[in-house]
Amino acid sequence: MSTDTVAMPNTHILSTFEEALRSLRDDALMMASLTERNLENARKGLFERDEDWCNTVIADDEEVDTLEVQIDREGVNIMLRYHPLASDMRNVISTMKLSVNLERIADQAVGIARRSRKLISRPPADEMFHLEPIYQYAETMVKDAVRAFASQDLELARGLKERDRQLDQMNRSFAEKLTDLMSHRVDFIPTYMDLIFISRFLERIGDQATNMGEDTIYAISAEETRHTHHLTG
Amino acid sequence: MIKSMDPQPPPTASAPGTNVTSELAHPRADFLKVTDFNFYYGKKQALYQINMEIPQRQVTAFIGPSGCGKSTLLRNFNRMNELIDGVRHEGDILLNGRSIYDKKMEVIALRRSIGMVFQKSNPFPKSIYENIVYSLRIAGISSKNILDETVERSLRGAALWDEVKDRLQDSALGLSGGQMQRLCIARAIANRPEILLMDEPCSALDPIATAKVEDLIHDLKSQFTIVIVTHNMQQATRCSDRTAFFYLGKLIEYDDTQKIFTNPGEKQTEDYITGRFG
Repeated sequence: MSTDTVAMPNTHILSTFEEALRSLRDDALMMASLTERNLENARKGLFERDEDWCNTVIADDEEVDTLEVQIDREGVNIMLRYHPLASDMRNVISTMKLSVNLERIADQAVGIARRSRKLISRPPADEMFHLEPIYQYAETMVKDAVRAFASQDLELARGLKERDRQLDQMNRSFAEKLTDLMSHRVDFIPTYMDLIFISRFLERIGDQATNMGEDTIYAISAEETRHTHHLTG
Repeated sequence: MIKSMDPQPPPTASAPGTNVTSELAHPRADFLKVTDFNFYYGKKQALYQINMEIPQRQVTAFIGPSGCGKSTLLRNFNRMNELIDGVRHEGDILLNGRSIYDKKMEVIALRRSIGMVFQKSNPFPKSIYENIVYSLRIAGISSKNILDETVERSLRGAALWDEVKDRLQDSALGLSGGQMQRLCIARAIANRPEILLMDEPCSALDPIATAKVEDLIHDLKSQFTIVIVTHNMQQATRCSDRTAFFYLGKLIEYDDTQKIFTNPGEKQTEDYITGRFG
């Protein structure tokens, strides 16, 4: 098969299509930065025991929800008007799926903020210390998932699945530790329950970051990597 | 250089429904095989070193910008290009293992075996009935039973029977554009060809007529091998099993349609189908 290179321009003939793709991507990156901000604010609310940050996260979730709807509408519009194919089609699909995962992450941040408000109303527990690395780990996964999408970094996207397994393990260990402690410190059971829930939120955030990585892999290489854990061990 | 294949018995020119090649129990992956094919209009080379295998009873789409050679290759399959002065070719095209350039191959029989539908429907200024039986009459068949049976079978095959069965003696020129195109398909399948070549068959049709032809293509592929030239990417994705992308007379990429339109292997294909070409 001939592969002689013949120079072809890399911009789309239809400038409106190019603009629509750019707008979709810009909105997805904006949504990603708002979601990262909400997650960061939820962390401040939790570890600084600051109810204002918690309330901010809950209020700001609406921005993320609005962007999710907007991205959905833009994606459908592009499908309808331009019938994208090949990498354009994969990019539109993966951007729409990315926004769904970002919205869920923002929802988990709201869940963390709500639990944090309850925690703030009770005496602090020393075990918070063990939650911090889990939070940091999940937050970094989200940042890297967004970075992989933004810079089309295949290797960074591929690494997320393995990191998610590590996060799952951290969450399990934390939950076991607190469950053991419950029988010794009955008065802290409500606090431990909230911490276990927050850890669980973080574990779900890791899943969603992994999903974002899988969608980025599909956008870049058309490779299907979902549900392949049973193959890769 | 033109290669020749082992001689095989010439087809029976007088019997419609007798194909140049024998019927195969299992579809053949290289039913139509193009090898090292170059083609020239005078001094201008239009096709460069084409190699491809077109599978039997599947739909293969040829895509590419105007002048890329897709119609030229299509018209070589039934040696239509030989009607143009000054053309020449190198390499070979094999139909079911036999060279279409075999000295014993009768061109008329080849064209009966490889039917063609053009961009603009071209019914004869005759009745609907006579359009279908025209080639049979040329072949000397006059049995009313055979002609009637062929008309009904062909029109049913082209999904036109129900619309015209009560006015078979009316002029074909009174049909709508979409009906005329399906009449041309019916005329092409009246001879029971093995391959149907379609050169932008829907480019002049409205969306409903286009949908009917596309539906028909889907139905016909159980019996015929179909090669369709189209500029409509969505049509190629909807209709075809395999897609070949041509550019400047070269076959750039040829693969499963889903692969071509979701993850093409060549940058030139990607640029063309995503509209970054121009």
